[in-house]
Amino acid sequence: MQVFFEQLVNGVMVGSFYALVALGYSMVYGVMKLINFAHGDLFTLGSYLGYTFLVWGAAWITERAGLWWGVLGAILFAFLANAGAGVLVERMAYRPVYRAGRLPLVVSALGMSIFLQNAIMAIWGPRFQVYPGGLVPTASLRFLGLSLPLLKVVILFLSLGVMFVMYWIVEKTEFGAAVRATALDREMATLLGIDVRKVILFVFALGPALGGMAGVMNGMYYRSIQFSMGWNYGLKAFTATILGGIGNIPGAMVGGVLLGVVETLLAGYVPGGGAWKDGFTFLILILVLIFRPTGILGEKVAEKV
Amino acid sequence: MGMELSCVRKGRFQQFVPILLWGFVSVFPFLPFVNDYWVDVGFFVGLYGLLGLSLNVVLGEVGLFDLGHAAFYAIGAYTTAILNTTLNIPVLLLLPVSALVASGFAYLVMSPVIHLRGDYLCIVTIGIGEIVRIIIVNNPWGITNGPNGITGVGFPAFGPFVIQTPTQFYYFVWAVVALVAFVLLRLQRSRIGRAWNAIREDEVAAEATGIDVRAYKLLAFTLGAALAGLAGNIYAAKMAVVSPQSFLFMESALLFCIVLLGGLGSLPGVLLGAALVVVFPEVFRRFASFRLLFFGLALMVTMIFRPGGLLPRKREILGLDGLDVQGFSAEKVSPVRMGQVSLEERSPVQPRELDPCPLLEVQGVTLRFGGLVAVNQYDLVVYPKRVTSLIGPNGAGKTTLFNIITGIYHPNEGKVLFKGEDITGLKPHLVVTRGIARTFQNIRLFPSLTCFENVLMGRHCRGKAGIVPAVLRTPFQLREEREFMEIAAYWLYRVGLWEYRNELARNLPYGRQKYLEIARALATGPELLILDEPSSGLNERETEELMGFLQELLQEGITILLIEHDMNVVMGISDWVSVMDMGSKIAEGSPWEVYNHPRVIEAYLGKEEEWVGSTS
Repeated sequence: MQVFFEQLVNGVMVGSFYALVALGYSMVYGVMKLINFAHGDLFTLGSYLGYTFLVWGAAWITERAGLWWGVLGAILFAFLANAGAGVLVERMAYRPVYRAGRLPLVVSALGMSIFLQNAIMAIWGPRFQVYPGGLVPTASLRFLGLSLPLLKVVILFLSLGVMFVMYWIVEKTEFGAAVRATALDREMATLLGIDVRKVILFVFALGPALGGMAGVMNGMYYRSIQFSMGWNYGLKAFTATILGGIGNIPGAMVGGVLLGVVETLLAGYVPGGGAWKDGFTFLILILVLIFRPTGILGEKVAEKV
Repeated sequence: MGMELSCVRKGRFQQFVPILLWGFVSVFPFLPFVNDYWVDVGFFVGLYGLLGLSLNVVLGEVGLFDLGHAAFYAIGAYTTAILNTTLNIPVLLLLPVSALVASGFAYLVMSPVIHLRGDYLCIVTIGIGEIVRIIIVNNPWGITNGPNGITGVGFPAFGPFVIQTPTQFYYFVWAVVALVAFVLLRLQRSRIGRAWNAIREDEVAAEATGIDVRAYKLLAFTLGAALAGLAGNIYAAKMAVVSPQSFLFMESALLFCIVLLGGLGSLPGVLLGAALVVVFPEVFRRFASFRLLFFGLALMVTMIFRPGGLLPRKREILGLDGLDVQGFSAEKVSPVRMGQVSLEERSPVQPRELDPCPLLEVQGVTLRFGGLVAVNQYDLVVYPKRVTSLIGPNGAGKTTLFNIITGIYHPNEGKVLFKGEDITGLKPHLVVTRGIARTFQNIRLFPSLTCFENVLMGRHCRGKAGIVPAVLRTPFQLREEREFMEIAAYWLYRVGLWEYRNELARNLPYGRQKYLEIARALATGPELLILDEPSSGLNERETEELMGFLQELLQEGITILLIEHDMNVVMGISDWVSVMDMGSKIAEGSPWEVYNHPRVIEAYLGKEEEWVGSTS
């Protein structure tokens, strides 16, 4: 039972990473109808930026204020830098291509993904980098008989907190309504006086920012990062987005956590499951798309003929 | 020579370009600076050209987002590798076998998901690509040898002649590419290729024009997978090793880029795209780790400046020769053909006496969307060679009823009978073949196809030529194509759009687009023509012209069922009017009966303003 609980917690943890990345995907897709293949690489960028911060800057902060502030600084740095990167990506690669339709955008996104991945490799090198051990807190917490690393718990709560804030922004504020309106019908939104450029800016700043945050937390959790890790995360996050209902923000979060839990339990309980878990993920994805294409929380949108 | 009715006007120089290029390809290995290394590069250009062509069928022609195409490539390669190394089956024999296995797999796997819309299909194909790769890596029952792959695949051989040197492989792959390109070109210009393009433009319209959308999509996937399987076999034979590393998502993404770089649906474009994608990293080889960086950049830049691709597909231009337009007189509407054909011969339906038997019967049809009853126990009878109008306020359910009749919706209760046969719930394209054609309230044309091609699409359902006749251009197929073109030309001329025949449908003004849609519907050879608000958006003069046109059609034996809001039209040409409000029938009868019916006045036509103070 204890093992199950541990696995469950692990699953929720992994799931919360997926959820944060999925949020970015879902927002961008919802508003722009664009599958941002570069998103996974922005996640990777975030984790590398956090790493750089910790290696260069955190030592300074840690001496003065303690380990936790270093961690926070890294997260904040990645968050802000990634927001900038996201906006830059949109300006450079996507904005000039909108008028050309969906397919050229996909190629642009793929091109940006390849570019980012290789840029990261060029800057930081092709080998694994390891998050410095000394700068990451290792305290533990005892809860219900389990020994949980404090870092894990903090990450979990931070993720949940961020998700809650996102949910609140999108569902409860006026700006959030503008975002949702733009997602539903962009042309109409502009005609109603919504500044769609602001919405796009928001979506392309916040999405990658969240991804960057997830990247740093991922780096601290798993400790080693590599320039090509974004691909896997991107795809998983995308699966989570579909599971929850594409364009649906609470859905992306639910989908992410669910995916993390299912994946971890599968790897833990099915013999030899670890190797197949990615395959199962996709199988679930396909089944969901066949039987409930609008996802768990999605709504049916009928096309008027 | 063949009766090429579609003349693609090419400049002198342009005609020679393909010949020059194929000439270059044929002598490439013998050019002075070309060593074995570059012959290999040439081989890979050919291989990726083949892969690009295979994906083009799915993505370029039909417009289906396939980002998992490497799965079929992998299956072809692994089928060859496994069967050759374990059962010693000759590699060359495995060429068609690999194609078959890959296409069989595609058929099985895509059938349950082929109905999915664009982006969702994209994700499913990504998933399929990954699942195939994961299965290969995990080595179920030991057949794939996991991440290390399978080694020792033999060389293809016909008898004593073995293909093993780079030059021999080069010619082998390019021979296959040439053959495949030829077949695909023939398909492109046939009924099948046109149907594919129609599906890409507007699936719903394609289905409503008589194209079996599901079957054609599956056909595209199956064919695309077969071609990818071929490529897999050739790859396995060349490399003698297959491993899952060659079939990552990046491979599928690369193929996607090749097709888009070249230009959707453009065969020379795809080959050019393949050449660029293969040669680019080679040229930049000295930049080592930066070359992919530049590649990514190049992709983005190309999409900014040439999103249509580098050699975009051009639509066929219909020339004046081949269709004897000179012999046309404006008054006498005679069909377009070399030689004279009389009007009666070209009529879709033989005019007959007023028939007492109903053509279409709608009996007690009910449709609910959740709690909302859109159509409530509706009865409607349409007699042949007459005009029946369906009127009512907006949101009454009129278009929904039409959608039920034409098979887009299945009613919860009730039946639809056409010529005495039950057609309830029959798929839309089958309804068209029975003899019912329709237009849409919001006009659904094929925007990037020419007007002529749009009308030509209407004739699709009356054709029988399949893939083999299309590729071989059998006399039967040629006769059929000619007949199609003549009928399409005839209807295009009838609706007054002949001079727009080469214009893209989306460039037409609204009023003319309506006529184009009607022409397309008429080209299907219907007995019953269902028009959804044909006069909306037309001014008075245009409306009168339309009414005149509909009268002509009646004389030629076509029955008409209309939804209309313009009471002049309803009163002017209807023989019978049925009034719908909130899903139910509230009145029915001759136009004048309905016009004066109190309930109709209340619900729809409107009463005159009452003075304040009097009772209603």
